[in-house]
Amino acid sequence: MGKMVIDEALLAEIETMQTILKNNVAGMFGGNRQTKNFGSSSEFADYRDYVPGDDINKIDWNVYARFDKLYQKLYLDERQMHTRIYIDASRSMQHGILEKADQALRVAAAFAYLSICEMDKVSIYAIHGNQAEEIISGMVGKDSYMNYINKLNEIEFYGDASITEAISTAKLGMGDGCSVIISDFMTDEKYEVAIDKLAEKKRDILCVQVLSREELNPQFRGKMHLYDSESPAKFFRKKIDKERVNAYKSALRFVVDRVKNYSEARGGNYILVPSDEKILNVFFGELSDKGVLK
Amino acid sequence: MSFTYPLGLLGLIGIPIVIIVYILKSKYTEQTVTSTYLWTLSERFLKRKNPISSLTGILSLLLQILAIAIISLAIARPVLIVENSAYEYCFILDGSASMNMSDGETSSFDDGISEIESMIDSSVDGSIYTFVYAGDEASVVFEKLNDKDRAIELLHEAKPSYSGMNVEDALDVAQRYFDENPSAKIYLVTDKSYKKQQNVDVINVAQSNADNCGISNLTCSLAGDTLTADAILHSYKRDVTVKVEMYVDGRETPSASSTYVLKRATDTPVSMSCSAKSYSSVRLAVTGEDALGLDNETVAYNLENNEVYSILIVSDTPFFLQAALDVVGDHTVTVCETGKYTGEEKAGLYIFDSFTPKELPSDGAVWFINSDTSLANTGFSVRGEAVPEMGVNITMNDSSATLLKTLTEDVSGEGIAVSKYMKYNTYRNFTTVFSYKENPLLMVGTNGYGNRQAVFGFDLHNSNLPLTADFIEIVENLIEYSFPSPIEKTKYFSGEEALINVMPSYESVKVTTPSGKVSYVSVQNSNGGIILDEVGTYTVNISVSGREEVYHIYSEVPLEERNLTIIEDEISVSGIAGNEKLKGEYDPLMLLFVALLVLFTADWMVYMYEKYQLR
Repeated sequence: MGKMVIDEALLAEIETMQTILKNNVAGMFGGNRQTKNFGSSSEFADYRDYVPGDDINKIDWNVYARFDKLYQKLYLDERQMHTRIYIDASRSMQHGILEKADQALRVAAAFAYLSICEMDKVSIYAIHGNQAEEIISGMVGKDSYMNYINKLNEIEFYGDASITEAISTAKLGMGDGCSVIISDFMTDEKYEVAIDKLAEKKRDILCVQVLSREELNPQFRGKMHLYDSESPAKFFRKKIDKERVNAYKSALRFVVDRVKNYSEARGGNYILVPSDEKILNVFFGELSDKGVLK
Repeated sequence: MSFTYPLGLLGLIGIPIVIIVYILKSKYTEQTVTSTYLWTLSERFLKRKNPISSLTGILSLLLQILAIAIISLAIARPVLIVENSAYEYCFILDGSASMNMSDGETSSFDDGISEIESMIDSSVDGSIYTFVYAGDEASVVFEKLNDKDRAIELLHEAKPSYSGMNVEDALDVAQRYFDENPSAKIYLVTDKSYKKQQNVDVINVAQSNADNCGISNLTCSLAGDTLTADAILHSYKRDVTVKVEMYVDGRETPSASSTYVLKRATDTPVSMSCSAKSYSSVRLAVTGEDALGLDNETVAYNLENNEVYSILIVSDTPFFLQAALDVVGDHTVTVCETGKYTGEEKAGLYIFDSFTPKELPSDGAVWFINSDTSLANTGFSVRGEAVPEMGVNITMNDSSATLLKTLTEDVSGEGIAVSKYMKYNTYRNFTTVFSYKENPLLMVGTNGYGNRQAVFGFDLHNSNLPLTADFIEIVENLIEYSFPSPIEKTKYFSGEEALINVMPSYESVKVTTPSGKVSYVSVQNSNGGIILDEVGTYTVNISVSGREEVYHIYSEVPLEERNLTIIEDEISVSGIAGNEKLKGEYDPLMLLFVALLVLFTADWMVYMYEKYQLR
């Protein structure tokens, strides 16, 4: 990949995002994940009566002095979450002046950074055909982020991509974090199966649909012979007039609603990201409004 | 259907060119998009279209083809031929003076022109038109013309005359067209009314509110120092009160004026007087305006001839002639015995009584009485003398010729007998006044010098003529004939011919019409005529012997043209009308232009819709 999407400018922007996040929100991706179970973290949670056999190091001697009874100090149990980001790396993501691929990479990098900041583990996959190729695996800590995030620049967008097949066969984890699918969802395949799979695994689901302005509001009119960027064998040859454009917009609404409704029905979230939208606007606009970032 | 310019159809070649261009032109713009998924999916959301709307793809092409076809047709000028839809029209337009009547802005003639124009305009193309102008005589202005524009153009060149309408003459022309084509439609556009019409449609353009009053029959008399003018006033439609003014010798202020109450359709005599010792002209004018202003005044010019003529009688027995000449005028009469005549004597009239000079005088009129010798330039030769056994009565010519009427005015011609007479052969044109068995015994004409000449074929002493009252009258009439006034009379009705007596001494005779048109009467002929086709004063300038004599003739509106209340009996063209029509031609050019405009507009709208439809 010749072009450097994850560059100094983007990282500086993400740094800014982190500062704002620290001051304003504690998101789903923030915090060292505290479970309802008591564990061995340093954060105090409660007391209980001492039972022989307990670790005597956790007896609170000050309470014993006051109440003349042994109490055991309890600490919250902390777990490291694993954020998995799946990027649709098909040819369709790379077409256009302001490429959806660039925006997909920027969104992926931003989500990864937010997770890193919360001490979560981050893995990023590129979906080619039926496979989810692991680009970054188990990245933890900012140093690691800085070392590995540039690997996103190496993702190549070609061919087609089957989200369903790729996610079904990929490592998904079990109830240990969030799965982010970044795609244009311009496909008639049953990606609902992939969403169901993630839901089964008790993953938090976020579907990010990246679309170009041309896709959102096509400008060409007249007799058009449109070739599909993923497969030249696919084409659309019709006169594009007002009625056709209206039908296209209805089809677009149908696709958007399909992704959105299905993911929300499975407890997930959905956002639509135009390819030319500023990253900060994405995170402090729609994501914040939807409560994805808390 | 036929085409005026068939080569225009070559434009249809443009149609295959447009189709080829349409085919060759890349109709579909190729473009690669991220995914055709949504476009394909849009089929599900496309509302079902009317099957006709599938034509919209080639609508622009169809419109362009139609536009080219229509342009080609328009250039080729198609003419639709429809059988039995056009007519042959024959329009007769009354050009008489009454058509000048107007009760407002336009005259009857203008209305007539408009009526014919309207009929030509609304007639089917392919019709043919003939236009007959019915003035004093009928004239065919255009004949069987099938060009509407040209017909209307020529129609507008017609002008009303100031004379009557020769409707018989016009109907003769119409009859000719009707005989050729019994289906021809014949229209008479006139202000006159007819009780019955046959094969002629009368279009009456009379001014319904026209009210006319006219003056006519002006005569003047001078008695002492009093000049009296008598005339007739007539109101043709209603009772009116009018004021009449009398102008003498062209003065601008009236010499007399009177008011008259006129009863409708009744002649009212007018008599007005003023003091004057002499006059050259008197004009009576009715003040105020009416439908026909032309008959509101009349003028009388004084043609009193007081000239004294010199007469030379070459005779040995001049008694009868002298006596008669003494009676008829105050002329200078000189008598010369036949033996003393030298031929060098000068006179206005030479009378050779029973004597023939050696040479014919060239400077005056000549009378020959009982000439027994042929003489050059006289126009007659002597055959011999006839002596009947007993006296014979001579016969007066009863022809109605104008000249003869002048020569026999107040002459009974009865009981005139001769006992001996001469037989003459004539080789010039003479008018015989008296004759016996086809031998002219008194004849007049012009001699070889162009001078007037009278020839008596008998000796006055061998006839009882000098003893009758007719002799004085004949001598007086011959004197008038020998010394003619250049103009016979000063008043005519428009349309009549005014006679001018052209003498050999005249160098030129110029005639100026009331409207200022100038023409010249030939001085080669002894009689010149002017057709008076205008109303008003004609001026006749005669150049004679280096001086100029001026005479005036007044032409007035004919009496019958002043009255529109007369209803004529019948107007007809004989024959049975047919019903065969001509081929009509319809020009759909305007229709084509409208279609073209609609198509171009539609094509533009289609183009704009495709280009700028809502995005």
